[in-house]
Amino acid sequence: MTPAAISPGAEQAAGFVRQADIVVGIPSFNNARTIGHVVRAVHAGLAKFFPQWTAVIVNSDGGSTDGTRQEVLSAHMDEQHLLLLSTPVSAAHRLSVPYHGIPGQGRAFRLIFEIAERLGAKVCVVVDADLRSIAPEWIDHLARPVLQAHYDLVTPYYHRHKYDGTITNNIVYPLTRSLYGAIVRQPIGGEFGISRKLFHRYLERTDWETDVARYGIDIWMTTIALAENFRVCQSFLGAKLHDAKDPGADLSDMLKQVMGSVFLLMLEYEPVWRVRSGSRPTELFGFRFDVGVEPVAVRVDRMIDAFRAGFRDLHEIWQRVLAPKTYEGVRSVALHGGRTADPFHFSDALWTDVVIDFACAFRRRPMDRGYMMSSFTPLYLGRVASTVLAFEPLTAPEVENEIEQLCLQFERAKPGLLARWDGNGAIVNTKEEAKENTP
Amino acid sequence: MTETLRKVFEGVLDRLQYQVTTLLPPLLAGAVILLAAYALAILSRWIITRIFKGMAIDKFLRQSGLAFMIDPSGRLRAVTIAAEGAYWAFLIAGVLTAVSIFDTDLTTQMVQAFVFLLPKLVLSGAILLAGAWLAQYLGRGMLVWAVNEGIPAPRRVAAVVRVLLMFIAVVVAADQLNFARSVFLAAFIMTCGGIVLAASIATGVAASRGLERFLMDKQDAQKEPSPSLWNHL
Repeated sequence: MTPAAISPGAEQAAGFVRQADIVVGIPSFNNARTIGHVVRAVHAGLAKFFPQWTAVIVNSDGGSTDGTRQEVLSAHMDEQHLLLLSTPVSAAHRLSVPYHGIPGQGRAFRLIFEIAERLGAKVCVVVDADLRSIAPEWIDHLARPVLQAHYDLVTPYYHRHKYDGTITNNIVYPLTRSLYGAIVRQPIGGEFGISRKLFHRYLERTDWETDVARYGIDIWMTTIALAENFRVCQSFLGAKLHDAKDPGADLSDMLKQVMGSVFLLMLEYEPVWRVRSGSRPTELFGFRFDVGVEPVAVRVDRMIDAFRAGFRDLHEIWQRVLAPKTYEGVRSVALHGGRTADPFHFSDALWTDVVIDFACAFRRRPMDRGYMMSSFTPLYLGRVASTVLAFEPLTAPEVENEIEQLCLQFERAKPGLLARWDGNGAIVNTKEEAKENTP
Repeated sequence: MTETLRKVFEGVLDRLQYQVTTLLPPLLAGAVILLAAYALAILSRWIITRIFKGMAIDKFLRQSGLAFMIDPSGRLRAVTIAAEGAYWAFLIAGVLTAVSIFDTDLTTQMVQAFVFLLPKLVLSGAILLAGAWLAQYLGRGMLVWAVNEGIPAPRRVAAVVRVLLMFIAVVVAADQLNFARSVFLAAFIMTCGGIVLAASIATGVAASRGLERFLMDKQDAQKEPSPSLWNHL
């Protein structure tokens, strides 16, 4: 096991609590606006659905300066208003502890797992601090499959606006599904239920100081669970409404860290994903219902401009990373896409090839990985612009169908991935794909 | 008359004999050494090409970008560097040995100058290579960053970084070789001064614009903020 991430203060707090069946972790950084609501929802969820269990709410904070920690400790929930059928054995304790080291979500998760381990928790639930749509039922949906159905990882399943979750929809979901053969719709959702066995396994790992320490943590957790055959399920949580991302954060870095984690795990679990083909559904708990979601504003023209600027200035890098056919496709989209009567279009087949080529280049390392992954951002923006334009007239089920088609495209491209991964450079595409690839 | 001619002719023959007996053996020996060195150079290149693998060095060359920097096709391999290095080392050693056989002041000076300069030349070459690599590495980083941040003319920004770093490498290398030290140093100081001046002016202009924008933003505070390019993540 790597050196403990737990500070003396957290150790002391954990020592005071001594034992807990359920640990609910809330990683935070400057979330004073929303975290009070999250804490109240968690508190209510624990009191309402797990009255006979001992529980602790752990806020792992990255050094907020807006009073996030005070908000956690002062958030008050009057249990008289909860209409409880049974009185909780003991009120859930609340700990708010700062974590040290590389600032990032992964570090916060590690501290939560360390505390859960020390308290001997049976399940650890993690929820984002920026949630506005969290309800007490979320705690039940995330913890109960672990406690009663003996699942190891519960991932969220929720409705999101058609323009929301673009990293998930365009990269992480299709790629993870095609690699590990399991349909997990929100692999980087941010809310998880984790069994003792699984968080113990996470703590055993030695790669906490990589991209995992930051935004790569979600996909790292899901991938390990899928690759190491832990039992994974999904829980329907309704809609996900959350605050806009921290505008001060370098969001290109976020993309780089998530993809870096995916690709690093591809290297580690190569023997696993090589032999898996197709995809199988994952158990989905909870009663599904339609729910309204907040519209997400996007600026397509600026994304297309960023993509074209990326091609103009980074094409030498892309040329070294992408296969010749893929590069030609990207070049064609950059030079001609959206300039004729046809709208700007970055096809599924071309996008799949781009992602696969970057994965293979990550292994081959034709240049510094950091720069290579950073150069991916304009390509991603081009693809997002294309999907926004394509999804504009579509309803939510139609959008879901489009995402399904992209996933199938990734699954069909897996032999091509294997060929390129092995350095054969073969691009296994059908004639239909080649036709679609031509703008 | 005949006697004079005979004496001149004998003198020429004597000198020729002297030159032949004095210079021909070292010349022949030098030629033999050169041939031997050339043969050794070819042999060493052949052996290294077949024995040396250098896969770890290949990986380093590829990952560091040195392979592409030295050979734009990216086909540069460690085995090529080792083989060519050995080839030229044998050849140069052969030439120096062959030249030193003549044992004249000129050849001695030539050999001494070369031996004296060699470490400096190697060091300067290494400095230039390291500078070129660093310039390329940081230039590329700057380019990618500038593109992602939407900074105007990212290629020019990257080119400025590359040129500056390369210039610093040239100044250091010239200093090593003791070549036009004052010229390069003066140029370097002038460039640095120019950069500081330009940065000061840019900071001043940006600060005044920033202040102007801040005051305008205060007025527009009531208006709806425009969505971020990334709020769909």
